[in-house]
Amino acid sequence: MPTIEKDLWYRIRDGDSSALVELYDGFAGAMFSLSLEILSDRWEAEEVIQDIFAFLWRKPQSYTPEKGKFSSWLLVLTRNRSIDRVRSRKRRLDRGESDEILSGREDQNASDGAEQATASDERSHLRRAFQKLPPEQVKVLELSYFKGLNHEEISEQLELSLGTVKSRIRLGIEKLRHTLSTLRT
Amino acid sequence: METLKQQALDYTLGVMPKEDSLLFEALLENDEDAMKFLAEAQEDFANLSLTAPPSSIGSEVRSRVMEYTEPKMDFDPFLSSNDINDLRDNFSAQQNRYQGGQASVDLADINEGGIKDEVLFNYEHLINLLPLLSGDSKAAAGDFSELQSNLRSSPSYSQTIGKILDYNLNSEDPATRSVLRTTLSSLPSLSFFSDRLREDQANMADTRRLYYLCRDQLKIMRASFKDLDPQRLLEDEKLRLHGAGLLHTKWWGAEHAYFSSKGQVKCGYFFDGPVTERCVEFAEYDANMYCMANLLAPRSSTGDFHMELLKDAVPGATLAVATAKMELSEHQSLMYMTSGDIVTHGVASQDHFLWKLIEDSMLKGHKSNNLKELQERKIFGINRLGEYTYLWFAWPAIL
Repeated sequence: MPTIEKDLWYRIRDGDSSALVELYDGFAGAMFSLSLEILSDRWEAEEVIQDIFAFLWRKPQSYTPEKGKFSSWLLVLTRNRSIDRVRSRKRRLDRGESDEILSGREDQNASDGAEQATASDERSHLRRAFQKLPPEQVKVLELSYFKGLNHEEISEQLELSLGTVKSRIRLGIEKLRHTLSTLRT
Repeated sequence: METLKQQALDYTLGVMPKEDSLLFEALLENDEDAMKFLAEAQEDFANLSLTAPPSSIGSEVRSRVMEYTEPKMDFDPFLSSNDINDLRDNFSAQQNRYQGGQASVDLADINEGGIKDEVLFNYEHLINLLPLLSGDSKAAAGDFSELQSNLRSSPSYSQTIGKILDYNLNSEDPATRSVLRTTLSSLPSLSFFSDRLREDQANMADTRRLYYLCRDQLKIMRASFKDLDPQRLLEDEKLRLHGAGLLHTKWWGAEHAYFSSKGQVKCGYFFDGPVTERCVEFAEYDANMYCMANLLAPRSSTGDFHMELLKDAVPGATLAVATAKMELSEHQSLMYMTSGDIVTHGVASQDHFLWKLIEDSMLKGHKSNNLKELQERKIFGINRLGEYTYLWFAWPAIL
């Protein structure tokens, strides 16, 4: 994971704009990649990132060190804000409102270019660790984390009991942690 | 312990029922295990986050974020000016909001067949253009060939604007006003970015800007001509709150162009919360913001101007303000163009029309037929404080 020094948040909280620059340069890329993966829409993903940085600058106290690592909190916040947009988009479509932006879209197969760029060792580890999970756990984690489906929706879609959905998420995430620690050593 | 772990996972995923979520938050305040499991869950999901394929974020996003850390413009002198004090004293929000339709016309109401053809052609072309600009288009991924080919396959929008403005548009009939709204609000900036993208140096920032402009122009056109696309207009008229964030996103750090004049937009005070109830109302709001930007961009002495939405400055209203530093002579020309019924020719008449469009919109937004009264209540206006000229309009807030 890109390193975020522990004191960065303290400096942002104290109004040091150079700390926000450091955070952006070190971490906005990872946040954007996550948001783009969830939203499949570059402009929306950019909006999510700029909104989060503005929010952090305006209300730095939203995070406190007791909440865990600053970097983890930022990524989960990015994920949740992106999922909020996916859900809002889904609600609009469920209401039967067509969306000229959604309709007539093309598949975005074009590579970003950055994808070919050298990924950090850490990210390679993570992707390998994720790929090593049993496929049924990968599926549930993808639907839950990247698609924002709740347990009931996953249960319905995969025809699994709620208990199985929850346990696959838990086992998957624990196994990811374990595999990662093995790969790192 | 297992339950607590599960709760931490569910809380992080945002799938907990609201009440359980609140209970878990209460637990976090004094239960170390709960805190530990939450931190662990966050870290685990952060690891999962990093399995997303890496993508590059546009450099202009960095500029916008950094702009946010700069000192904000002080609006206190403006907010304590006599005009705004008068507005505060005289503002009362009406019960019913603008829901579209009022003063919207049919294409058949346009007297000049040539204009009608241009409006139709523009709309159809823009509808086809929008998916080529969207956030999941090839252009958004850096491949501009299809977008450029589309733009080059038809005449530049600047030619269309030129053709329409060649007609006599001095009439005050609603059809002529609709033509002016769809020609002078967002279209000039749209034509600027579209022309730039037609050239070889296409880039993401221009594509993104053109996407917002194209989306806005289409909505403004539908709201102006009710038979242009009745099916989509029906959707635009449905109840759907539109937040200030939508305006903030597109104006924040944007480059704005009005014919040959360019300006850089700064924003600092946008709030979180709804501004309008429907797309058609938002189209009115949007058109007014574009008109203000178009009046300021050519006159700013620094090249920058501010676009702000202020909440709570006037109880019951959201206050849209556009301001720029400008020479006194520019301010005087602005006052001249926007006062009375003087219509001259060329650029001056266009500025006059821009202000007329704002006036029309104030009548709609405030459900009034008395422009003079709205002016006296300072619902909208222009003033100058020091070296800055301020344009503003108040719009009923969503309470």
